[in-house]
Amino acid sequence: MSYSISKTRHTPFSARLGQFLRDYYIYLVLILVVVLLSVANLDRFDLFERGNFLNPKNIVNILRVSAPILTLAGAFTLLMVSGHIDLSVGSAMSLAAVVYASLAINGVPFLMAFGLTVVVGVLLGAINGLLVVKLKITPVIATLITLSLYKGVALLMVQDGVSAIKSGGGLKMPGWFNDYGRSGVLLNLPMAFWVAVLVTIALIVVQNKTLLGKHAAAVGGNPTAARLSGVSSNKIVILLYVVVGVSAALAGIARSSFMSLGDPLSGDGMELTAILVVLLGGTAFSGGEGRVLRSFIGALIIMALTVGMLTLVPAYYQTLVVGTVLLIAAASNHLVSRKGSK
Amino acid sequence: MTQQQSSALSVEGLTKDYPGVRAVDNVSFTIKQGAIHCLVGENGAGKSTLVKMLTGVLQPTSGSITVAGRRHCPRNPQEARDGGIATLFQELHVVDELTVKENLTLGMEASRFGFLVNSKTDEVAIETLATIEPSIDPEARVASLSVAQKQILEISRAASSGASVIIMDEPTAALSEREVERLFAVIRRLRDANVTVVYISHKLDEIFELGDDVTVFRDGKHIVTKPLDEVDGRQQLIELMIGRTVFQQYEPRDIADAEPILQVEHLKTSLLKDVSFHVNKGEVVGFYGLVGAGKTEIARAIYGADKFSGSVRFNGKEIGPTPHDAIAAGIALVPEERRTQGLFTNLTIRENVPVMNLEKISTTGMLSPSRERQAAEHFVAQLGIATSSIEKHTEKLSGGNQQKVVLAKCLFAEADLLLLDEPTRGVDVGAKTEIYDVIKALANEGKSICVFSTELEEILGICDRIILLYEGMLEEELLNGEDVDIAHILNVVTGGAEHKGQ
Amino acid sequence: MSVQLKAKMAKGLKMSDEAFITLLVVSAAVFIFLFASLLVPNFFQFQNVVNLVTNNWAVISLGVGVTFLLVSGNFDLSVGGIVALSGVLAVWFAQAPGGANALASGFGMPTWMAMLFALFGALAIGGLNALFVVRFKIPSIIVTLGTMLVARGIAQVITHGSQRNTNLPDNFGFLGNIYLFGTSIKLPVVLMLVLVCVAVVIEKRTIFGRLTFWIGANPVAARLSGIKNARHQTHLYLFSAAIAGMVGILLASEFKSGFSSRGMLMEFDALVIALLGGVAIAGGFGSVVGMFFGALILATVTSAATGLVLSPDWQYILKAIAVFLAIVAQTWALTLKNR
Repeated sequence: MSYSISKTRHTPFSARLGQFLRDYYIYLVLILVVVLLSVANLDRFDLFERGNFLNPKNIVNILRVSAPILTLAGAFTLLMVSGHIDLSVGSAMSLAAVVYASLAINGVPFLMAFGLTVVVGVLLGAINGLLVVKLKITPVIATLITLSLYKGVALLMVQDGVSAIKSGGGLKMPGWFNDYGRSGVLLNLPMAFWVAVLVTIALIVVQNKTLLGKHAAAVGGNPTAARLSGVSSNKIVILLYVVVGVSAALAGIARSSFMSLGDPLSGDGMELTAILVVLLGGTAFSGGEGRVLRSFIGALIIMALTVGMLTLVPAYYQTLVVGTVLLIAAASNHLVSRKGSK
Repeated sequence: MTQQQSSALSVEGLTKDYPGVRAVDNVSFTIKQGAIHCLVGENGAGKSTLVKMLTGVLQPTSGSITVAGRRHCPRNPQEARDGGIATLFQELHVVDELTVKENLTLGMEASRFGFLVNSKTDEVAIETLATIEPSIDPEARVASLSVAQKQILEISRAASSGASVIIMDEPTAALSEREVERLFAVIRRLRDANVTVVYISHKLDEIFELGDDVTVFRDGKHIVTKPLDEVDGRQQLIELMIGRTVFQQYEPRDIADAEPILQVEHLKTSLLKDVSFHVNKGEVVGFYGLVGAGKTEIARAIYGADKFSGSVRFNGKEIGPTPHDAIAAGIALVPEERRTQGLFTNLTIRENVPVMNLEKISTTGMLSPSRERQAAEHFVAQLGIATSSIEKHTEKLSGGNQQKVVLAKCLFAEADLLLLDEPTRGVDVGAKTEIYDVIKALANEGKSICVFSTELEEILGICDRIILLYEGMLEEELLNGEDVDIAHILNVVTGGAEHKGQ
Repeated sequence: MSVQLKAKMAKGLKMSDEAFITLLVVSAAVFIFLFASLLVPNFFQFQNVVNLVTNNWAVISLGVGVTFLLVSGNFDLSVGGIVALSGVLAVWFAQAPGGANALASGFGMPTWMAMLFALFGALAIGGLNALFVVRFKIPSIIVTLGTMLVARGIAQVITHGSQRNTNLPDNFGFLGNIYLFGTSIKLPVVLMLVLVCVAVVIEKRTIFGRLTFWIGANPVAARLSGIKNARHQTHLYLFSAAIAGMVGILLASEFKSGFSSRGMLMEFDALVIALLGGVAIAGGFGSVVGMFFGALILATVTSAATGLVLSPDWQYILKAIAVFLAIVAQTWALTLKNR
């Protein structure tokens, strides 16, 4: 066996470039998308002001619409890092949106409605965690079950014959409801966006500075090693599902505030977007690998792409583009990752 | 020096029974504190089982373990570590995605309100690592390390965990000479710090270089514990290990006029270094060496399961690059790990047997249930598979019967060359003898058989010719017979030949 | 007593885990139907049983391909998307050129050719699945979610997010609307029943079926036993896509339209009925018969809920509870049986 020194003092340029690309490609992709959308011919549709994509108003628009996925991306990343998945995030988000809207429309004050909805998020996450850890149901199936369950509950909470909880019939949404998702508080961006930023910063800290973050990577990277080292993976996994549940609740609040209604279908497909965003951010599907910040950037890319695309092509191209990006992202990060053969 | 006399770990009447086998038989001995204590013995002598009981992976059938005066009965490795015993298992248990530093402290982190805080543990761990292998950057990701560096990382972790006893199971298997020297320096330093090291190795030179005391195991029994100073060289240690074990009687067979059926030339993989040999028709060839000597690699290369360079010709023709081609050419493999590589555990015996020869149970793609059933019943009877029905799921069979099902798969393939990788690992004595009888019968029918084994008894009992391997090299080839020198064989496969050469 | 004799004696008594689970599923289906009959007026009728089967021909057909893939250890969530794609393609190819607007003009192929080419489109998605799963070794759940979006996405682009239903030749609606000897049973239902029967034979009586189980039970052992895993899994993805393609074409013919939202969430229903039928997602375990009765369980539960005038929103919760119970009961029953 040859002896090798790990210090990289004289690494060839090509290898350093490769490493640089692996570390920073996500930012390059973001810049690329923004530049492409900015120079593309934008006057075909009138969705945005004519002119350039890099217009403050457009950026504010995109960031406002993006608040839910930006809130969700970080928690979803940590869960994937631990080698687990949550397909119920979309339904959990819808359910939270409906709960929040019902509370608001029935006169519950903002903070209380907000707090109670977060508690619902804790509960939804805990159910997922317990199904996976205690009943040992495979994460895909367990969260598929709750996907259906949460969606059903959300639909039942809305009266028959009405599609969503909204002003009307003697009840009126309070003014703060819509403000949270739409009116600018700082840099013309609404609360919902800043909550997403706060959640992301908090989760970056969790990932880098806490036991939870480190042990999530250990559980996802090498479960046996984690167990033999005395890491209690059950606790970690339940906690991570709860974190995802809370993030889904916050995302639901953001979405319902933005739309000014509690729509039981508003989170549909969110699990796909979350998977897409996280894969784009370089998170390994097999666990162990992934950064919160990169998923955040991944979310920005997807939102810039999907919203920006509306200025170039009709809306019905969206599914095709999302599917294609998903396949490309999955393929590229699987081929790049060392665990590809696993 | 008085401290040296107190006992760090002692076992009393320790016994472990498996169905049909007593792996560890009423073992009692004491390990002194602050000493390097070596455990030696042939494969299957009971060392691994003992270690597994010490580390909580297995529970003893009876007997007791005492660590530093306290009763020690761990139910898992975590409890064992809490009780003061840290272990380096043969497999690597590191998390590739974390950094070196994070791995060093995994499970031992100091934290406040869930936040990681720097502590003495981190410093000690990093310092330990720096003394063993200063070139490893604590901030590097473990994925970028070599296997040897990962091993060193694990050693550092155990060394810095504050355990009073550290068990090392073959820690040098993947290390270079220079790394081994550094490891030894660390082990000695641990001893100076009054830590007890239980060192398990097949490489006898290491044991003489490093050890204070040695305990010899044979057939699950404790043979002797004494200071290494009182052991008179390799030869005596080997004799203690072999004892007067009655090896299964080898009956010489007349295969002088056989022509070669398999020719392997300049076989090279990442582990194998230019291995060439041939196998004759009707011959049983044994490949003997320690774990990691390259036996499995040879078997898998011939079978097309792994990539290699060099030439493998069977009946004068090159074989294609996949197991499918090998089977078509007339070669069958009993893989090393029967549960993960050989059996379909959630399928029945009937469904397992025919997989390697689909033509024989079907006509134009349609299964013939009667032929399938006959095949299964035939092998259940021929190999004496103990089962209530051919419809039994193979996961419910004992190890020996599972192995017979894997063997039945290969026999059903009607191959001319059988590659048997550890054909009796974890198999009870009765089934072992039956499997040996089958091998001999096959050879008498004119089939060629390669046995890849870490059990000398097996090699000496059934093989006509023996090929000795050490660290990917073919060291020696010899004919089996009454005059075969067991001590010499053990000397060669434990690195003795190299030792002499230097 | 000789081993053979013992084996023969035991054969009659001992049942494999799979037969046991299938029997359990069948009993559950019967029990749930009887229970629903107690609660819901007019539920206990032969016609109702017929309806349960005929109303679900599409998802049961998809379930066949999905079951084989699950048994081989792979997901196929692309089938719903393929249903939409193949239907839209068939219509687009068959529409006469030069219609009033973009959505009214197509390629003017004869109906049979349009349908054949639409099937090729479905197979292309199946090929994409196989390429990514088998060749690139990317987890099948991700790949088939991606191809589901791609297939539906193409359908949406072709239909501008809506549907194409004008300017079609008269015989386009023929296949999907043949009734059997004056009964209410349509040709697609008959085809589904034929498909299920053929699938049962393939599963139980052919090498092809057995290969599926071997690969799903232990892919490593399968490879070392000389099985060409990659080729077989490719076949399975192509077959599943072909079935989904046929379903899409038949639905397009039945409604004389290519609708881009057709088959929405059908991939999840196909997965759900397979799970209800005792198919294990770990691979190597399950049966088409089980899947069929799993579909009947789901159909009974949802139609009984409608009969009880529950809001249709209840179906999601009922589905969740049914799958949950099925999985817990299966684990529990097997532990009990093998104790």
